Amino acid sequence: MMKTLFRTCILFMSLLSTAATAAPIDNLTIVPPKASSGLNLSLSWTFGEATTSGPEVLGLRLLRRLPSETEWTLVGEPLAPDTTATSDTVPETGTWAYKLVSVYTDTPEIPKPEALSEDASEEEQASFDAEAAQLRTAWVQTVIERSDALGDDSDMATGTTKASWLNTNPGHLLLLALIALVGGLMMVYTRRAQRGEEIYIRRIPGIDAIEEGIGRATEMGKPVLYVPGIDDLQDIQTIASMLILGQVSKTVAEYQSDLIVSCCIPIVREVADEVVKAGYFQAGHPDAYNASNIRFISSEQFAFCAGTNGIMLREKPATNIYFGRFFAESLILAETGFVNRSIQIAGTAEATQLPFFVAACDYTLIGEELFAVSAYLSKDPRLVSSLKASDIVKVLCVAALLLGTVLHSMGNTFLVDLFKISG
Amino acid sequence: MKRTVPLLASFIIGLVMVGEFFIPHHQYRAMTNEFLEWGLILSAGAFLLGLVNLVQVNLPKVQRRDTDWQYKAIMLVALVVTLVIGFAGGTARQQPGYSYKWFFDYVFVPLNATMFALLAFYIASAAFRAFRARNLEATVLLSAAILVMIARVPIGESIPVVGDYLPQLMNWIMDVPNTAARRAIFIGAALGAIATGLRVILGLERSHLGGGES
Repeated sequence: MMKTLFRTCILFMSLLSTAATAAPIDNLTIVPPKASSGLNLSLSWTFGEATTSGPEVLGLRLLRRLPSETEWTLVGEPLAPDTTATSDTVPETGTWAYKLVSVYTDTPEIPKPEALSEDASEEEQASFDAEAAQLRTAWVQTVIERSDALGDDSDMATGTTKASWLNTNPGHLLLLALIALVGGLMMVYTRRAQRGEEIYIRRIPGIDAIEEGIGRATEMGKPVLYVPGIDDLQDIQTIASMLILGQVSKTVAEYQSDLIVSCCIPIVREVADEVVKAGYFQAGHPDAYNASNIRFISSEQFAFCAGTNGIMLREKPATNIYFGRFFAESLILAETGFVNRSIQIAGTAEATQLPFFVAACDYTLIGEELFAVSAYLSKDPRLVSSLKASDIVKVLCVAALLLGTVLHSMGNTFLVDLFKISG
Repeated sequence: MKRTVPLLASFIIGLVMVGEFFIPHHQYRAMTNEFLEWGLILSAGAFLLGLVNLVQVNLPKVQRRDTDWQYKAIMLVALVVTLVIGFAGGTARQQPGYSYKWFFDYVFVPLNATMFALLAFYIASAAFRAFRARNLEATVLLSAAILVMIARVPIGESIPVVGDYLPQLMNWIMDVPNTAARRAIFIGAALGAIATGLRVILGLERSHLGGGES
């Protein structure tokens, strides 16, 4: 019987130990992170020895105030009881004071005033906000007092923000060096090209097919349809598409054919309008330019797709050119063009849509080839030199990949860490 | 002058926006956020121009009774109706009970879903044309496609003997060669994008500036 009683006591005590409270929070340290914007602070802390009495801890809450103030403000989301680090974004630069408190399983939720009606006036809203702030402050004070009484809070600690003018993480510096390298190589090869040096570009059938397609459209008396993707002007693929459109419109004007441009974004339509107009002027056929051929269809993806399909089925373009960023509508566009027996040339850097274009189009430009089209078509030495520069950097990237793979396989993560972009 | 000002603006603002990635200072970020707000305002203004263009292009075709003028008439009516009920609903137009919300839920969403559903049939017809074993590469592509398709459906696992290994093979195809190819495309495209961006910022590319003079 004594043995049974002893075992029961041991079991009971072990059960109690699994329901232990959080330990006191020590060594709260606040520092500005590396490459900080000046409004971020990183916090870290440790835990002391856990106690076995008191209520169970649900989580931790972070409190913040200016050193000159007396009232604490609750910031951030509740933290798990075993969290040892977090970060905070402050409203202004300077020195800030922080404190961590524990919230227990029996702590009530933050009280809120009675909900307002939907047509509440501004004064009622202001009164509601003030009452909510008061209730919140009172709740925070209660939590502080209880956590302090149980010894589960941290001492106040301060930290000062520090803004950096340069992100000195190795990955960022490496990227800066890469951009500078591309720019520098562009200058070098531009000088060489201007001195008469021939820069070789391999033949890209898809780009050669553009002029063939325009010629076909002229012979058949049908227009060329150009779709610059469905993304906004700030996307680099749309910018590349506009650059190509300039060359295409000039060639279409020289062949005295018609060009229809179907746009999904209104501002892209405005830029396309200017670009096509310039192309016709440069070709010496300003009177052939028709503004109503540069059309905004819809900013909704499938509405745009339906509208463009309608253009294909009604106006039956002989050549469809898809250059830009596409999503799910790519296959619908390409298949409708296929049914129409148009020659289709597509180019996108969107890897998920490339298989659809490859399956449905006659020529597909993959990824970087899209960015080479304008230089390839213009044959301007300054533009062609940029292709050479990016090719050199590509070779360096491949070399770094191979070296990094070998090193990583041997347990050395130097190159992997060097290329990491963080923050 | 007509080209110099836009080129100068492209150069300065281009450099400033590239700098945002390397300069974390909050005052710099505040400046670049301001530029982005200006861009949003310009884009929003362009919506009005897009609306005008829609009417300018389609209304004459309705008046002339061109091919399929009825669809253009429906489009213009839908444009006007959406504008009217949108303005009438105000800021609460997306709440239940408003006509705008009804049109969105019972007209726009089903139409959108219909277009999306068409993709399944288009994929089937494109695959039927594309997946022909004309040469070694096409045969490899066809085999990989069949393996992945069978492994993704429950019936694949019920195939005796090989059924247990199909998911592992599919995962290897997706995780190794497929991911490697996608990353290669991504890296090449990223370098091409850097070169294109630099060409535009440095003013080497000027065709995007447009202009009506040769």
